[in-house]
Amino acid sequence: MTTTELAPDTGRLQRFVAAWWLALRITRLNLRARLEYRTEFILTVVTGLVWQASILVFASVLLVRFPGLGGWTSPQVLLIASMRMTSHALFILIFGRVLWITGLVQLGSIEAFLLRPLPVYRQVQLSMFSVNAIGDLLVAGTLTVMAVARFDLPWTPARVALLLAGLTGGVLVEAAVHTAISAFGLHFGGTVYWSTWTEELMATFGNYPLNILPKVAQAALTYLLPIAFLAYLPASLVTGQTHGRAVPALVVALIPVVGLVAFVASRLFWNVSLRRFQGVSG
Amino acid sequence: MSHVRQVSDRRTRPWAPLLVARVTPLGEVLAGGRVATKAARLAVGIFLSVALWRALYATTTTEAGLDREQAVTYAVLATVLVATRVSATWINGDTVLQRMQQGTIIFWFLRPMSARRYYFVRGVGELGYAQVWLLVALLVCVPSGVVLAPDPGSVPAFVVSLVLGHAIFYELGLVLDLLCFWTVVNMSAVQIVFFVQTLLSGGFAPLWFFPGWFRTLSLLLPFQGTLNVPVSIYVGRLPTSQIAGSLLVQLGWVVALCLFNRWLWERASRRVTVQGG
Amino acid sequence: MTRLGPGDPIVTASHLTKVFHTTTRRPGRWGALTSLVAPRRVSKTAVNDVSFSVGRGELVALLGPNGAGKSTTIKMLTGILQPTSGSVTVAGIDPHRNRERNARNIGAIFGQRTQLWWDLPARESLAILRDIFEIDPSDYRRRLGELDELLDLSAFWDSRVRHLSLGQRVRCDLAASLLHDPGIVFLDEPTIGMDVVVKEQVREFLRHQVQERGRTVLLTTHDMTEVARLAERVVLVNHGQLVVDGTLDDIKRRFGGSWQVRVTLAEPGPEVEVEGLRVVRRDGPVVTFGPDGTDPDRPDPNGTVRLEEGLRRIVERHRITGVAIEEDDLEDVMRQAYLHRDAGTVP
Repeated sequence: MTTTELAPDTGRLQRFVAAWWLALRITRLNLRARLEYRTEFILTVVTGLVWQASILVFASVLLVRFPGLGGWTSPQVLLIASMRMTSHALFILIFGRVLWITGLVQLGSIEAFLLRPLPVYRQVQLSMFSVNAIGDLLVAGTLTVMAVARFDLPWTPARVALLLAGLTGGVLVEAAVHTAISAFGLHFGGTVYWSTWTEELMATFGNYPLNILPKVAQAALTYLLPIAFLAYLPASLVTGQTHGRAVPALVVALIPVVGLVAFVASRLFWNVSLRRFQGVSG
Repeated sequence: MSHVRQVSDRRTRPWAPLLVARVTPLGEVLAGGRVATKAARLAVGIFLSVALWRALYATTTTEAGLDREQAVTYAVLATVLVATRVSATWINGDTVLQRMQQGTIIFWFLRPMSARRYYFVRGVGELGYAQVWLLVALLVCVPSGVVLAPDPGSVPAFVVSLVLGHAIFYELGLVLDLLCFWTVVNMSAVQIVFFVQTLLSGGFAPLWFFPGWFRTLSLLLPFQGTLNVPVSIYVGRLPTSQIAGSLLVQLGWVVALCLFNRWLWERASRRVTVQGG
Repeated sequence: MTRLGPGDPIVTASHLTKVFHTTTRRPGRWGALTSLVAPRRVSKTAVNDVSFSVGRGELVALLGPNGAGKSTTIKMLTGILQPTSGSVTVAGIDPHRNRERNARNIGAIFGQRTQLWWDLPARESLAILRDIFEIDPSDYRRRLGELDELLDLSAFWDSRVRHLSLGQRVRCDLAASLLHDPGIVFLDEPTIGMDVVVKEQVREFLRHQVQERGRTVLLTTHDMTEVARLAERVVLVNHGQLVVDGTLDDIKRRFGGSWQVRVTLAEPGPEVEVEGLRVVRRDGPVVTFGPDGTDPDRPDPNGTVRLEEGLRRIVERHRITGVAIEEDDLEDVMRQAYLHRDAGTVP
């Protein structure tokens, strides 16, 4: 339940706008706080760049030499990679704090959040600014520019719309997965291993067309852990590639909807988990 | 009953300090879950490497002097080496940086084993442990056909080169660790160095695929000796005529870095005894 | 290496001096730049001509305020720091020059720092130390058993060091420092941050080591109860110099100038005045007197009115029906000692 200090007769729309405005102000403050440590800020951005190293090397060195991967041409594979990076960077920027849930629980921050008149999930997101996201966005942006420039199919307005739809879907699916995991993180400290493992798997497999994997693996990465929905399937929406795809065309076409539904479901599950929150023992 | 042993030179178990080599691996092995997690991670990494490289080579036979099986083998070996050589000393609080920050560096002056010898023995233990993982990976991947079996003729050269590669890796790690005495090093800097090292050693992709200027650059640096040389010998990418030369270059780097580190150690100890822990 | 006789001191510090040289940045806008080329060197004398010795089987407490040079002194005694001038001998050895030999003779515990490996169970850490010190396995088992009995280690020695509580960890560090059966033990604030139960356990343990095992212990601490209960002998350093080397009573006698006397006057008159004393509190007929804090920097030991003298003066001036004397709080005594700026010498 959201309440603000506005007068009781202000409309729902005004409250909605006020809530977002507050969120923006807090984010700006968080960012300013991080900027005070300039060297550390720069270093963290660079380290973020470094984390993306393997995919950068892959994109710049290997894709150039080889004709493609699993039926996808090199520029198309590049598109997958750039879409993954962009949606991941956006995920970190908007939803990233959900990965920190164990730390927040241990610090007692959740208890503090429960006493404030804002949704706890939102407070979790506003608890700090992820400087890594900036590094991620820089790399993603560069890669996307490269991918868009080299793309071997024409950029019609329809295709651009599909690209944006695909990105939205990717962000929402990643958010859905990590929100669901963090719902467990509210209760079990060991959840951090699972979320790290998931992040790793996403980073490892998310950049490639999954039809290069054996069918069983591909199915696992589509239905068990929806990595295919992060970038591979959204990119197939843009390229129209259907070869070896394990998911019906209709589902792919509705990826943003799928993402939204998944995220909302996750969010509700998170709320249920929060209601049973026990706190940290002394 | 008051007693002080006047120190005699009789050493009761002079080989016992060598057992210190177990420090880092012991922590990992005693936490059962960690070994399993590592094995699973490694398996996933190898799985992806194999699928990726096979797919890349779907319409090509040879590229940059490597055929499909060679490329897959290189990638798998590189994955295993990079993943298992990551130093777990951080978890033990045993790096110079952590010891400086916590002040526990002083304990080095209170033990009958010099810090330099301890680091060496510990390093041997860590790299020996990484070797075990490599061996297990090979024992799984070679018979199943995932990875090439080495040409029997090149096995001795491979083993020598691998040991030299580990030695260079150890010395490089030590340089970074010792620099903490003079510069303010932190985690971000360490990660950046780690990335550069992995990149230039062929850990992300075989160096053979990189453009010429990059390969020339890497030849001037010690990093390619830690991975590219031994793995290239294994997959047979390095012509026999060049093997001896490469081994000599590796040896040269080991010696040079070793001497450099010795000098750094001396200056570091002096710095501690003058400035305090 | 000098051969020690049974009566010789086992630790000797002789005119120990340590001067630290650091460079500071010059002030002003161009300071940073100028400092690169011509840095301003600042020297700080942390320890200035400190001499004392410790006999076999003694327990000595090294006291002093923060920054007094205690830690620096201990570091010189353990061989970590090289003295700028002066010498140190521990069990006949120069600890700095013969570091590895010295390491076999001494054990050390530094309060906030652990010498154990975080990721290993405590017992494994101790086993590693056994190997580093080349301890015979049967000796090791015996000693570990004894230490376990005294410190109750087996309750938690299978846990990783990083998961231990402070009390548990320090107990492991105590065991670690004694595994090789050293004759001399240095402790730098060992009980800092502990709860009272564990503190007493540690003190009992140290007492046992000194009395039953004949070890020599040199201990720095801020805990006055610890000093009172453990130390026969106290060495007080301040501003890098040795101020007192004697017993606790010596210190009290020298710095205990602050006392309070609560008297009940027979006739509660309006004016209550005694020369050299001040009225701390007054509740009707009950008056609390203390010395009026005449300048303690006066070299004359009678500069502050003593308890006996003050009582005498009160009784001379007023008729009293009741008296209560409040003894010096040891903390108050130490505060006086720490604040004292006299370039004192050993009495």
